[in-house]
Parts: sequence; C-alpha cells; structure tokens
Amino acid sequence: MDAADQLKHKASAAPVTSGTTLSRITAIALNAFREAVRDRVLYNLVLFVLLLTAAAIFIGELSGGQERKVIVDLGLSAMLLFGVFIAIFVGVGLVYKEIERRTIYAIFSKPVGRGEFLVGKYLGLCLTLLVNVVVMGLGVSLALIYVSHGWDPLIPTIWPAVLLIYLELMILTSVALLFSSFSSPALSALLTFFVFIIGHFSADLKGLATSMGSTAARVVFGGLYYLLPNLSNYSFITPAAHGRAPEPGFLLAAIVYALVYIAIVLAASTLVFSRRNFK
Amino acid sequence: MTDTLDQVKNDRNKTVGLALIVLIGLAITFSLSRWIDARRPPPDPNVVDENLYLNGKTARRISLGFNGLAADWYWMRSLQYVGGKIIKLPDNVALDSLSQLNLKLLPSLLDTATTLDPQFLDPYEYAAVVLPAVNVDEAIRITKKGIDANPSAWRLYQHLGYIYWQQHDYQAASEIYGKGAQIPGAPSWMEAMKARMAAEGGSRSTAREIYTRMYEQSSDDKVKDMAQKRLLQLDAMDQMDVIRKLLAAYSDKTKHCPANWKEFEPILRAARLPTDPTGAPLDPSGVPYVFGKTNCEVEVNPQSTIPGR
Repeated sequence: MDAADQLKHKASAAPVTSGTTLSRITAIALNAFREAVRDRVLYNLVLFVLLLTAAAIFIGELSGGQERKVIVDLGLSAMLLFGVFIAIFVGVGLVYKEIERRTIYAIFSKPVGRGEFLVGKYLGLCLTLLVNVVVMGLGVSLALIYVSHGWDPLIPTIWPAVLLIYLELMILTSVALLFSSFSSPALSALLTFFVFIIGHFSADLKGLATSMGSTAARVVFGGLYYLLPNLSNYSFITPAAHGRAPEPGFLLAAIVYALVYIAIVLAASTLVFSRRNFK
Repeated sequence: MTDTLDQVKNDRNKTVGLALIVLIGLAITFSLSRWIDARRPPPDPNVVDENLYLNGKTARRISLGFNGLAADWYWMRSLQYVGGKIIKLPDNVALDSLSQLNLKLLPSLLDTATTLDPQFLDPYEYAAVVLPAVNVDEAIRITKKGIDANPSAWRLYQHLGYIYWQQHDYQAASEIYGKGAQIPGAPSWMEAMKARMAAEGGSRSTAREIYTRMYEQSSDDKVKDMAQKRLLQLDAMDQMDVIRKLLAAYSDKTKHCPANWKEFEPILRAARLPTDPTGAPLDPSGVPYVFGKTNCEVEVNPQSTIPGR
C-alpha cells in the first residue's frame, strides 16, 4: 500500500479533508514506515545480530581481554554504518519513488500539502531508524551481558551514544530528503554521502578557515563550517566504549542543534519541493 | 495432466541440476584453493614487516568517527603480530624479553592504536612491557604520550617507572612513581615504591614488589602471565642461592661435588626444599633443577616454564 492508497483508505474511514495537519503527517509517516518494513529494510538487523554474536564469541581470543570495548566499538560503529546506508539509500528514494510510480499525483489530488508530505515521509524513515537503533542497542547490551556473564557497567553508558547516533542519522536523512527533492537518487545519494564525510571533517574546515591567508577563503571555509552539519558532535562511540557518558549540557546542546538543523533542512526541502511542477 | 506432470518433473530436474552445479563448483573451488595455498611461496619477511601505509594521525583523520573501532583493529593486529612470532619460541620466553624477534612494526602499530584512541590504556601497558626489549626510546615515548592524554591514569606512571627500572635508571623511576603517587586515587604503594626505588632500586625485593603490583593491576592475561613468570623466577633465584650455599658447604666438607642429586637429597630435605623421586630439587613451577657446568652448581632446567634470564 503506497501513500496514495493509504490516504484513500483513510478517506474511506474518515475524510482526509476533516483531518488536521498532524493526522495527515502521521498517516504518511506510518505508511512510509510500513513501506520500509515491507521493503525488508529491517533485515539489516539479522546481519547485525550475526555480526555481534560472532564478535561476542570470537573477539575474546583476539582482543587480549578487551572484548567489552571491542563489542561496544563494533556494535555502535555498525549501528552508525548501517543507519547511514539506510538514511542515504532509503532517504533518497522517499520522494523519487512516489514520482516514479506517479502515486504523487493521487496524493496531491487530496488536500495534502507538499510540506506535510515531506515531513511525513521524513518522520516515517526516522521511525524506521529508531526501531533499528533501539533493537541494535538492545543487541549490544545483550552481547555485553553475555561476555560479562551478567550486568555490565558499560550498558548504561552506551545509550547516550546511541541517542547521538540516532540524531546524526536524523540529520543525514533530512539532508538526503533535501537532495532528493530536486535531484536524481544516484546524485542525491552521492551528495548525501559527501555531506556525511565532510560533516566529520568539520574541525578541519574550521582549521582551514582560521589558517587561510585570504579573507575570501576564510569566509568560504568558515561559511561551510557553519552551513554543513557538524557531525563530529555526534561521534561518542569511542568514549562510550571507555564507560564515559556525555555531559548533560553537551547532550542537550547536541539535541537542540540537531532539531534546529533538521528544521532548517526540511524547510529548505519544502521550499524547493513546492516549486516543482508535477503537471 | 501428463504435460503438467512432465513440467513438474522438468522443474525438479532443473532445480537438482542447478543445486549440483553449485555444490560441485564449491567443492572444486575448495580443492583449488587448497592446491594453490600449498604451492604458494612463503611470504617475504620484508613484505610482512612492511611499514604501515597510514600513520596514526592520518588514520584518525579519515576514520570518520570510527576511530575506536580502528584502534581496536590496530590493537588486535599488534597482538597477532607479536603472537605470530612468539609462537615459534619455547614456552619459557617471557613477554618482556623478545629482543630476539624482529618486531620492528610493533612501535608503529601501538602508536597508531593509541593515536586513534588515546584513552585506550592497554596498548600503553603493552608498549611498556614488550617494547623496551625492542626499542626502549619508543616505549618511553608512547608511554609518555599516554600520560599526556590521560593525566589522571596513575597506572601509566607505574608503566613508565617500570621501563626506567628495567633500564636501571632508578632515579628516574623513583621520580615517576612519586609523580604517579600524587594522582588522586593512586594506591599508597606508589609512594612506597618511590622511596624503595631510590634506596634499593636494583634489589630483588624491589623487583618482586614491581611484578607483584603488575600482576595485581594488569587486566591483560599475557602481562599477568609474564609477571607471574618473573615472580617464579625470583623465587627460583632465592631457591638457587640456598642450594648453591648448601652445595658449597657440602663440597667444603666432603672435598667433592655430589655425584648425583640422590646423594645430596638428605641435605635438601633438611633445608625443607621439595625434591622429586630422583632427589633433584624442584623449582617453583615443579620442574627439577639441573646441575650446572659442575655438580657444585645449579641451574634452571631448560624444560621449565621459568624464564632462563
């Protein structure tokens, strides 16, 4: 059932016209989530579980007694990597698929705004990613319990890192959606991947900006530093593996930064998408 | 009806045929791989020990937030690198005396692991224990790097003090133990070690204290094993001192060395030293000692797990 069918189905129960913006966004989001599940996106969890199981059993022999650290590093890194692939490859197809199947005409023949459509699609993928990271987080916790033969003090410290990974994935999804609102899936995936890489080099951008002789170069690199998402704020895997949790102030700032950045990107996506002609 | 049955039969034959191709193909590739492996020339040691392509800083820069995982990879590579070479040596070679092995890549591997994850303490410990026999300057540099990155980790001061102690630089070792003792949470024996290092750095009791603390504090089984072997070696040295004195006294009294351990066994028993059925005294690992160049000297059995030096 695609978004158009979903809306039709909803219309038969209660006319969409009578729904609020929130209910329309919720309907699209839930549909996007169902679509991701139907597309077997969550099958990556099977691979993740196999990876962690193998690590929990075999890493002990290879790591010189550091299996707990390796499991956290491996588990959270895999969580980020799998999440990035989902955010990029599913994210860039969110809008494109509806255009390709021409179901977007059916959707926009209903009283659904383009912004509502984009936000709904975005939240649907975020829900998929949330299920993904929560299940993976539980998997890492179980692997830690297995290697420690009981409760492990690292378990509570991995969850703030999981939250930061999720925020990073939410930012990347919004970026993928922005590119896909005006570009082809292949190009959108490439551009989003570049943003992911550059986002982790943001400290270098800032360094470049301060070390450049010319004012123009300083402005360009300084501008890029503030324009592109600073994803290194969300890299907390290594400290988590040492049992360190982020300061509450830092965590709060990272959450606010992510929410504001996502709002900006979604607003820009809506702006671009509103100008697209589907006639 | 017959057509349908034929169709089903054809489909089944096709499935079986394809499955057979997969199975036979796998069997052939398995056999071919084994055949090729058996004829592969031995790896060139120069290639095996080829310098790392990436230094720590570059690896950290391109790790995209996966630096912890990359550090784990370099750490495990370090262990495999040493393990792959140590496996050819006899059991009684301790982890801290591997100078005979060409471990030229180890400093780079440990340096990269600790640059990727400066809070990862185990590679520093490994550097302090294994590296002095390979490259003492690198051992000191990496451990000092660890102290700079983890100023509150008193164990790193313990490791650095250990390196200086191994180099017989007791003054520097004493200073380092003293600095480490001032860190909140450092155990009181660090302060005692400072004084002991300054007063009697080269003594056997200081060595025993160092290895006892290393055994207690280390989370690495290989380091624990090394410390335990060194403690057994110290016990063996004490035992051999006693046996040498007894042999000297016996020789003075009888004007000859014992012909065999059986002849000397009553004296060993009187000194409460354990012996085996042949009368030979047993070292702390339970292996009998052997006579040295003459029967008035005693040595650790080469079969023993206690390090020879």
